[in-house]
Formats: sequence, C-alpha cells, structure tokens
Amino acid sequence: MIEHFLAGSATLFGDPFTIGVFIFGVLGGMLFGAIPGVSMLTLCAILLPFTAQLTASQGVMLFAVIYCTGTYGGAITAILFNIPGAPENAPTAFDGYPMTQQGKAGKAVGAAVLCSAIGGVASAIVMMAATEPLAKWAIRNIGPPEIFALVFFGLAVASSVGGKTMWKGWMSVLLGLLIATIGQDPVGGINRYNFGFADLAAGIAFVPSILGFFAVSEIFVQAEKKAMGKFTAPKVGLSFPTFAEIWFHKIAVVRSILVGFFCGILPGIGATLAAFMGYGEAVRWSKDKTSFGKGNIEGVISSETANNAATGAAMIPLLALGLPGGALTAMMVAVFQMHDLEPGPLVFYNSPDLIWVVFAAMFYANLCILFIGLLETKTILHLLKVPFQFLAPLILLLASIGSYIGRGLVLDVMVMFGAGIIGFLLRRSGYSIPGIVLGIILGKIGEQNFAQGMQMVHYDLLTYLSRPVCLILIIAGSLTLLSGIYKAVSTSLNSKA
Amino acid sequence: MNFRKTFKFSITAAALILGVGTANAFVCSVSDATMAKPGGFPERALTMIVPYGPAGGSGQVAAGMAEAVTSLTGVSINRDHKPGGSGTLGMAAYIAMPADGYNVMEHIDDASSAHALDSGQPNPASDLIPLVTSQVTFSQIYIRTNETRFSDWASFSAWVSAQNGKATIANVSKEGSMERVTMKFVTEAAGIKIQQISFDKGAPRYGALLGGQVDALFEQPGDVRNFLDSGDFKPILTIFNERPSVFSDVPTHKDVGMTFEPLLRFRGFFVHKNAPADRVAWLKWAFQRGYCEDSYQKFNDSKYMSVIDSYRDTDGSIALINSTVKQYRAVYKEMGLELK
Repeated sequence: MIEHFLAGSATLFGDPFTIGVFIFGVLGGMLFGAIPGVSMLTLCAILLPFTAQLTASQGVMLFAVIYCTGTYGGAITAILFNIPGAPENAPTAFDGYPMTQQGKAGKAVGAAVLCSAIGGVASAIVMMAATEPLAKWAIRNIGPPEIFALVFFGLAVASSVGGKTMWKGWMSVLLGLLIATIGQDPVGGINRYNFGFADLAAGIAFVPSILGFFAVSEIFVQAEKKAMGKFTAPKVGLSFPTFAEIWFHKIAVVRSILVGFFCGILPGIGATLAAFMGYGEAVRWSKDKTSFGKGNIEGVISSETANNAATGAAMIPLLALGLPGGALTAMMVAVFQMHDLEPGPLVFYNSPDLIWVVFAAMFYANLCILFIGLLETKTILHLLKVPFQFLAPLILLLASIGSYIGRGLVLDVMVMFGAGIIGFLLRRSGYSIPGIVLGIILGKIGEQNFAQGMQMVHYDLLTYLSRPVCLILIIAGSLTLLSGIYKAVSTSLNSKA
Repeated sequence: MNFRKTFKFSITAAALILGVGTANAFVCSVSDATMAKPGGFPERALTMIVPYGPAGGSGQVAAGMAEAVTSLTGVSINRDHKPGGSGTLGMAAYIAMPADGYNVMEHIDDASSAHALDSGQPNPASDLIPLVTSQVTFSQIYIRTNETRFSDWASFSAWVSAQNGKATIANVSKEGSMERVTMKFVTEAAGIKIQQISFDKGAPRYGALLGGQVDALFEQPGDVRNFLDSGDFKPILTIFNERPSVFSDVPTHKDVGMTFEPLLRFRGFFVHKNAPADRVAWLKWAFQRGYCEDSYQKFNDSKYMSVIDSYRDTDGSIALINSTVKQYRAVYKEMGLELK
C-alpha cells in the first residue's frame, strides 16, 4: 500500500499542472462549501464539461479533492452565522453557533478545522487499506432494513437536543418528520400534502428549510433583541482549542470516525446522515445531554469528524463497485465516463495509477484543511465584527439566493421564509430547531428505507427483526427512547411533588 | 388475464409505430450539414430543462446532446436540472418558461405515462413539439453472475414460483411506471409472484443485487453496462420482440411464451408548442443533426443505445408518444387505476 501511495504522491506532485488542479480543488471546495446555496455540487456541475480537457486522473482527483474540502467549508458559516453551507454541516450549527454567541467562535472553528482534518485523513487511510473488502462487506450486510434501524437508533436521542423539555423536543422531531412526508412518497410515488401544486410534489428541499430554521429565524431573534434594546454583538473569540481540550474528546473523535465511515460506505447515504448520526451518538453517550444545542464543543467535534470521515468512505463503493454514495460521487461517474472509463472493480486492474493519485490527493487535501483552515480562521473570525444592521440583510440575501439556486423555484424561497417565521415562534416557546431539522433529514432517509425494508421482509415484522443488525439497533433505540421517557416522567412527577 | 385482448397491436403495426427492431449500420437521416440561423436566432445560449439529476440516464443524455449541438452549431446550452416528482416538477417549470425558442427540455417516457394517467398533465406529443427522440431502449431482468440458486430464466421462474411470493426484484416501481407495468405483464404471463422493491436511485438499486439484498434486478442494459462488462450481472430475460445481437444468447419474453407488447424507455428533447415556427425549424435541425455527431453516436454506443434504432424525428416521436400513451391507458384501465 505504501509504495502505491508514494507512487500516487509522485504523480500528483510531479507535474505542475496537476498540482495546480489540486490547489484549485482545495481552495474552490472550501470557498463553494462555505457559501450557502452555491455548494461544492454547484462548483462540480460548472466544472464537469471542463474535465473533458483534463486527464482522467486529474478530473476524478479534482472532484475528490473538492468533496473533501467542500464538506469542511460549510462548517465556517454554520458556526459563525448559523448558516450551514450544506445539509451535512447543519449539526455543526447546533452547538457551533451558540459557541459563537458565547464568544467562543475561535474554539468552535478551530475544533471544526482540526476534526474535519482528522476525520478525513483517518477515512482516507482506511480507504487506501481496504477499499474492496469493505465495499463488498457493506453491500452484503447492510440493506434498507438496517439503514432504517440506524435512523431509528439516531432519532431516539433527537429529543434531547435543544428543546426546553423532552416533550417539546419530541414535538419538534415529530414536526420535522411530518414536514418530511410532504411530496411524493418515496416508494409508490403517491402525492401527499401537495394540494395539487406540482412544485410541492417534489417535497420540501433540505437547504431552504435548514436556512429558514437556522439563519432566518436567528435574524428574527436578533432583530427582536435589537428592537427591544437587548442586542449584544457576539464577542470575537480568537482563542483556538488547546490540544488538551481536543484530547479530552478523543473518544468522541474515534466514535465519529467509525460512525461517519460506516454511513459513508453505504451507497446512496453519504455525509449528511454521517454528520447527524455522529452528533446523535455524541448526545447519547454524554453524561450531560442537556448541554447539547447550547454550545457544547463535542457537538462540533462529532459532527465535523463524522461528515469528513464519510468522504473517504463514500469513495469506496464508487471505486470498488461503481456505486456512487451521493450526488457528488454520482458526478464523478460522469467524469469517468467522459474518459471512456467506468468506476467499478475493473478500474483497479485497468487504471491503478488513477486510483492511487485520487487516494493520495484525498489524503493531502484533508491535511490542507488543517493548514489552510488554521491560517484562514483568524481572518474569517473578524467577519463577526460587521455590525448586525449590515450583516443581517447580507445573510438574508445569501440565504435567499442559496434557497433559490438549488432547484430554481420561488417556492423554495417562500419555504425558507416560512421556516424562518415558524422557527422564530417555536424558539420563543422552547421548541427545538435542531430537533425539527433532524426530523426532516432523518425522516426522508428513514421513510424510504423503512418502506423498502418492509417490502423486502414482506411486511412481516418478525422477519425484519430476524436480521441481527436490525434487532440490535431497534432494541438499543427503543431502550434509549424508554429511558428518556422514564426520566422525563420522573422529573415531571418530582417537580409536582 | 389475456393481454392480447387489451393490446391489439399486430407485430407489424407495432414495428411501424414503435420502430421496433434491431438497428442497422448508422446512417444520418438529416442531410443538411448546416442551416442558416433564422433572424440571427439563437444569438445567446439556450437553456435546457432536465427534470432529473445530472448523474442519471437523463442527465447524461442531456449532457451528450448539449455537447453535440454546441459542437455542431457553436451555440452553448445551459442545463438546468429540476429533479423531483418523477419529472413533473421539471415539466411544470418548463411550461412556465417563455416560449421563445431559447428554452428547450429533455424528458423521458415518464411524461407520456404521466399524461396517460392524468390528462391534466401535458401531452408531450401535442402540448410540446418533439425535436428529436435520441434514445430508445428495452429492459432486461438481471441476476448475479455468481448466483447458485438459478442460472437462467427457466430456473429463475421455477425458483420464484417455489418461494411463494417471497422472491424479490429491485426496480423503480412507482405507481403507473413503465417498470411496474412491465413487471405486471411478466409476472402474470409467467404465472409467478415476486415482490418488487422500489429504489429511486441507481446506486442502491444495483447495490441491492450485488450484495444479495434482492434476487433480481429490472433495468435497461445501458444503465448497468459496467456491471455487465465486469461480469457481476448477467441478463436472463430481454423484454423485446427480437433478440438484439449483443444479447443473442438471452431469450426474449416472446421466446418464453409471453405475448405482450414491450414498453420501451425513451428519452428526447422538446420545445414549446407556441415557439416561433422558424426557430422551431432550426432547433429541429440542430437536435436531429446533433444526433448524427460522432460524439453523440459514441455516447449512445457506450449505453447500448444503438442496439435498436434510437432515432425518431418529430413525426416519429409524436407517433411513439401517442402509441405509448394509448398503450399505458389501456394498461391502467386493466390495472383498475383511476384515469383522470
């Protein structure tokens, strides 16, 4: 493996033009990942026709590098302005933005930089070591029933995040799940709650709802404070997390690497579920669950480690089996095809040079996140000094563009503002915005896999539970759920007594 | 149920209407290599609405045709992907765009089946003008090459029968879809019951067969070409009236005693019905001649799209769509679906 890696590195850095492509990918991914709406997908869609002018290695490597750095880029705006650059950065905002409000933006961004790099490098190493066997293991052992059980397991802790009480947490999650059912059902294609509007048949898109619930509702909250004379600008905290602080969360980092890698390796799942699951597991294993959603650095660490750990993992089914894990890896298939190649088992035999250049580039791209991220962080943090009256319209403008650009629908801008207003009102009443977003994202993934899973087991729950992974995850999720309810009821009874 | 009563297409008539038949050596049907731009049109880039994502079959054919037309005419084409609602979202967006000839759309047979089910949905043959149909293909049923429980259609159908409805096949089985309707034909004709598992994305669908989560896969050959080339999948049944030469050892549904007329997957390009006529004429030339470009032919070859004749001009496309709508309506009535 090491000699292949060195050969890939030599090819990568032996040609000035290839180095230029690599640097362009690193910086472009970070930039497009950080701007809401114009995600790394936008950049790749723009670049796709131009990859025909590159060699196959350069084209695939460029997209792989953008995938690594773009996944990290969205964390910055999530932490500083409550605007996740992409759905996989949404859980980062749960705790990152409260940290900014507490004057700890430097620590949050520093943790995101460091953990993105750690997650990405770890997953790149595993990817290099065991792509083929891991891909085959994943598709043999993990199908829709297991993915639904995983989502159920993740949702079981969702009520703990951000709500004033567990009941309000659950109401928030259920609202998110309800919103996720709008549009065609994922299996039969039956329209639900679209009221005859074709635009609603496609459902509520992730990006506008996330931007509305996070960014727009936050602006309304701050504007209200400003109007009431209670507004205080967040302090610009420039101090980075110390080594000891990160080391204190070493278990969370390792756990998120495993969770992120596991989610990333599943075809069609990818970094979004990884980030939410990584965050959910941090909450589950924490002794102080109520601190999440209020500025717990472990939330940032877990989410950012997991989503970057998914990037290397997502390359595994693509390269070993020709199965793209998400939208960006699907675009990579088009790059392969432009050069008369097909990703899959044969590519290891026919184009080993290409594979190892891509592996090496992803490894170095994750290291670049660390160095460039740390260099740029202090500059970026000064954006917080922009007065609210200038920053708020700019955020609303960016969020509106970001909402519209995904599907080119005015409906999505309306959804964003609607979510902003609903989010503003629910926050005043102690409901959980992270809970709603968790419900929307995990609801869509979970429903599809539940329906497919039930078809696979012929609607027989006993057959479903005879699959060992399903049984373990459903039992573990149910126990979490029941213990949470027990604690909430006990607390409620004790307070009445 | 006897589907022959429902579909009274004779083989000859169907061949004439659908262009059913394996393709001969490619000959470009558009003789004019150039065409003057009417009144300078187009003087800026065209916009192409694509109602599916960039990486799927539609996204790829849109990219392939855009490249060919741009290379032929020098006119850029910006692709605007509007996925969702099985293509209805993109269609609604396209209908609302200005009918000035600068906006075109890619769509597939889903638009025809959607209109067949609900006449309130646009009829692509009469509410739009088809510029060209550039991909027409058939479906097949695949199994894993290393499968030990069955090895061909006969052993597969026997095995499925023995499972008493517990065998599974991956496809896109949304209500009224080509896949679900065709599987209804197949299972009824073969007297078998099989659970269809609907995966709307290709990767999980193919992964389900590769990993043994399902027993078989319903798909078009171009979409699984890399798995055929790598030897992971093998076709056991071709749903087409005759054996394509590249699959000469695979029986067709007719070979195994099924008599229904196959539903085809087709993809093409459209413009608004009320776009200026001179612009429409130029667009027809550009897209039909674009089909003849080497780059497009190479792309179609790579997707098994030259196995049968994929080309339909405007009139051919209208005939294909009309016959498809008629066929789907008859099927939906048989299935007891409410036609609007």
